Amino acid sequence: MDSGNGTALEVFTSVCDDFYATARAAAASGRKVAGFVCSYAPQELLHAAGYLPVRVLGRPGGTPRADQLLQAYACSLARSSFDAALSGEFDFMDLVVFSHTCDTMQNLADLWRSSRPNQKVVIVSAPTVTSGPAALSYYRKVLADVREQIEALSGPISDEAIRASIDLYARHRNLVQRLYDLRREHSELISGRELLAVVTSSMMMDKEEHLRLLEPFVAELESAGDVKAKRLPRVFVAGSVCQNMGFVTALEEAGCMVVDDDLCMGGRSFSLPEPPAGDPMDALVEMYLGRRPCPAFHTPGFDPGAFLVERARAARAAGVVFLLTKFCDPWFFDYPHVNKSLEAAGIPGLLVEVEQNLPVPEQFRTRAEAFVELLKAKAE
Amino acid sequence: MSNRMAKKVTNWTKEMALYSLLRATLAKRKLDQKISKALGSGKKSTGAKRIPIKTGDKMKLLMGRYYIRAKVAEKDPDQKIAWITSGGPVEILHAAGVIPIYPENHAAMIGTMRMADSCCATAEDQGYSRDLCSYARSDIGSILSKKSPIGGSPRPDFLVCCNNICGTVTKWYQELQRMFDVPLIMIDAPYQYGEDRPEAIDYVKAQLQEMIDQVSQITGRPFVWGKFEDTVRRSEQALQLWRDVQDMLAHRPAPMNSFDTFIHLAPIVTLRGTQECIGYYKMLQAEMEGRVRNGVAAVEGEKYRLGWDNLAIWYKIQFLAKKFGEHNAALVVSTYAKSFSYQAPYRDESDILRSMAANYIAGYINHGLDYRERELLEMAEKFHLDGFVMHSNRSCRAYSFGQYELARRLEEKHGLPTIMIEADQSDTRSWSDEQVGTRIDAFMESLAARKSNAIK
Repeated sequence: MDSGNGTALEVFTSVCDDFYATARAAAASGRKVAGFVCSYAPQELLHAAGYLPVRVLGRPGGTPRADQLLQAYACSLARSSFDAALSGEFDFMDLVVFSHTCDTMQNLADLWRSSRPNQKVVIVSAPTVTSGPAALSYYRKVLADVREQIEALSGPISDEAIRASIDLYARHRNLVQRLYDLRREHSELISGRELLAVVTSSMMMDKEEHLRLLEPFVAELESAGDVKAKRLPRVFVAGSVCQNMGFVTALEEAGCMVVDDDLCMGGRSFSLPEPPAGDPMDALVEMYLGRRPCPAFHTPGFDPGAFLVERARAARAAGVVFLLTKFCDPWFFDYPHVNKSLEAAGIPGLLVEVEQNLPVPEQFRTRAEAFVELLKAKAE
Repeated sequence: MSNRMAKKVTNWTKEMALYSLLRATLAKRKLDQKISKALGSGKKSTGAKRIPIKTGDKMKLLMGRYYIRAKVAEKDPDQKIAWITSGGPVEILHAAGVIPIYPENHAAMIGTMRMADSCCATAEDQGYSRDLCSYARSDIGSILSKKSPIGGSPRPDFLVCCNNICGTVTKWYQELQRMFDVPLIMIDAPYQYGEDRPEAIDYVKAQLQEMIDQVSQITGRPFVWGKFEDTVRRSEQALQLWRDVQDMLAHRPAPMNSFDTFIHLAPIVTLRGTQECIGYYKMLQAEMEGRVRNGVAAVEGEKYRLGWDNLAIWYKIQFLAKKFGEHNAALVVSTYAKSFSYQAPYRDESDILRSMAANYIAGYINHGLDYRERELLEMAEKFHLDGFVMHSNRSCRAYSFGQYELARRLEEKHGLPTIMIEADQSDTRSWSDEQVGTRIDAFMESLAARKSNAIK
C-alpha cells in the first residue's frame, strides 16, 4: 500500500484510538457537537443544522457512577456510555440524540436526561414496525417534531440544507458500500480491522473531511489490480455494537479473513437505500425505515436467519462469528433461530458475548483459533 | 342440522362434561391443591394468619372453564385461537369470537408452580440466553418440552403482540411466529416520555383498524361493530370494578393484600370483555366490602402500609407475604396490579377506537420517569404508604431500569423510604430466602425507627 493511502488509513486508525479527540477539538474551536446514541438517529438533520454528529459509545474501564443508577443487568454499552456522561466526558456535546430501539436504550434516554439537566436530550420516537402506511405516517410526524426541537436550538433548517446533507451522506455511504463490495471480492486488499477503522472513524469525524480522505482511498484500492489471494478461511461477523476492534483483530490474528459483517458499528449502519427525490423529510422517513433493520425492530416478512445465510453465502464465508453484547435482548432472541438457519446451510457459527468496556478476553483468542481450525478442517 | 352446528353441540357437550368433572374434582378437593397452585389462588396458611378469600374458589372454576373451552376449541378448525400479550387489545378478539390465550399468564403459572427452572433450562439448551426474560424462556421451554401445569396452551391460529409492556414481547412473538408459522399482528404502541402524543394515539388507532380487518380475514367472518362496542363496554365495566377493588385497599386496615391482587388479576388479564369477568369482580368487591364493614384485616395488626413496584415474584408470594406479615406490614397497592387498569386522559365517546388506542398507550411501564414518579407519589398519598418495595426484576428491563432513580427521588425529594429487592419474576435460580429475609428485616426495623421518631 502506498504512502497516500497509508496516510488516510493512519487518520482513520488514530481517530479510533481516541474516539472523541476530533470532536472535542472541534467543540473547543466553537463548533456545535451532537452525540447520537443510535445509528437510527437522523444524522442528516443534525448535520444540516450545523452540528458535528458523533456516535456515543462507551470506553474501557469500570462504571461506578452508572452503577448507582442502572442495574448490573443493563448492557455494557448503556452502562459504559452513561458512566462517561455522568463523569462529564460528554459535556462537550451540545445535544444528545436517542432513537427508540430496545428497552434498555428507551429507559436510558430518560435517565440520561434527568441526570444531565444541562445537556439537551432529543428522543426520536421511531416506530418499532418499519413498514406500512401507519408507521410511515407516524414516523413522518415524529421527524417533523424532532426537526422543530433541533431548530429551537439551531435556528431554522432549510429543506435545501437537509437535502444537501442527505446527498452528502448518500455519497459517503456509497463509498463505504463500495469498500464492502471490494472486500468481499478481493479480501486481501483490506483487512476487517482496517474496514472497521474506516467505519468507526466516519461516525466520529466531520463528514466532508472523511469523504475527502475516503474517496482517493477507495479509488486506489479499486485500481490495485490483482493481488495474490490468500488461502485463509473467510469469516462473516454479526452482532450488536462492537466498538472494541480488538475482537476483529484477534479473529484475524487467529488466521482468518473477516470478509463482511452485519454489525451496528459496521455495514448495517450503512445499509440505507438511495435517497428518493422529493421532500427531504419524506426521504429521511423512507431511508431510515427502509434500511437493514436492527433486531430491535419488527419488519413484517423479514427472516433474520434466511437473511444471514444469504449474506454469508454472498461473501463466500466459511463461518460466522457472533459478537453479541451481553444482555442485548433483541440479538439474543434472534440468535437461536439464526444459528439454526446457519447450521441447516452447513455454515458453522461461534457465539461470543462481548462486554464493551472490557479488553478482549484471552479465552476469546483460544476459541477463535479453535474456530479457525474447525473451518480449515472443514474446507479440506 | 349443519355440520358446524353439530360440531358446536359436540364441543359444548365436551366442555360441559369436562367442566362437571372440574367441579366434582374441586369439590372433592382431589386436584385442589395442584390446581390452586397452578392458578395461584394461594390458600395455604402462612403462619401470619391470612384469611382466605372466598371468591378465590370461584376463580378456579372460572379460569378452569376458560382453559377447558380453549382446549376443546383446539381441535375445532372453526374456532380460532389467538395468543396475545397481556397488554394487547383483546376486545377485538372477543368481539370476533376468537379465544385469547396468554403466554405470559401461562408463564406466571409455570413460575408459581416452580416449574420455571426446568422449562428455562430446556430453552437455554436450545440456545436461548439465560439473560432473556424468564417468561419467554419458560413459555418457549414449555412448548419445546411439553411440560406445563395445565397440559400446555392450545395451539394458536394467529398471534397478537402489543409492545406497550416491553420490547421483549416483540422479539418473543417473532420467535413464536417462527415456531408456529402463523400470522402475527403487531401493534406498536410508542413509549411516552411526557404527555401522551396525539400522533402516537392516531398511529395505534390506525393499527387497531388494520387489526380488525386482519382478524376478520382470518376468521372468515365480517367484524360486527355492535358486538365490539358491547365487548368494550364490558371490558370497561370490569376494569372499573378492578380499579374499585384495588382502591378498597386504601382502607385501614386493608381488606386484601397486594399479594392477593397478583392472584386476582388473572380474570382481568384473560377475560376482560366477557360477562363472567364482570361477575367475578362484583363478587370480589362484595366480599371486600364485607371485610371493610366488619373491620377484617388482610394482615392482622396492620401497622405498616407498603407499595409494590414491578411484577410479582411468583415463586415467593407466600414467603414475602409471610415475611412482611411478621412485621405487621401490609402491601396495599402495586403498579403491577394497576397495570391492567390504566385509563388514558383522552377519551372520546364518539371515537371508540381512538379512545381504546389511547388506553393501550396509557400503562405505567409505557411511560418515562417523571410519569412514574408522579404515579408512585399519588399511590403513596392515596394509600397512606410508609414505604415502597421495589422488585428490581432481572427479567424486565423496561420495568426495572429507572427504579434506582425513582427510589432516589422518592427518598430524597419526598421522604419515602424504599427497599430494592434484586430478583426475578419466575426464575428461582438466583434467589436466597436468607438474604432477602435479612434485608426485609433491616428495612422494617428502619421503618419502625422512623415511626417511633416521628411519634417522639
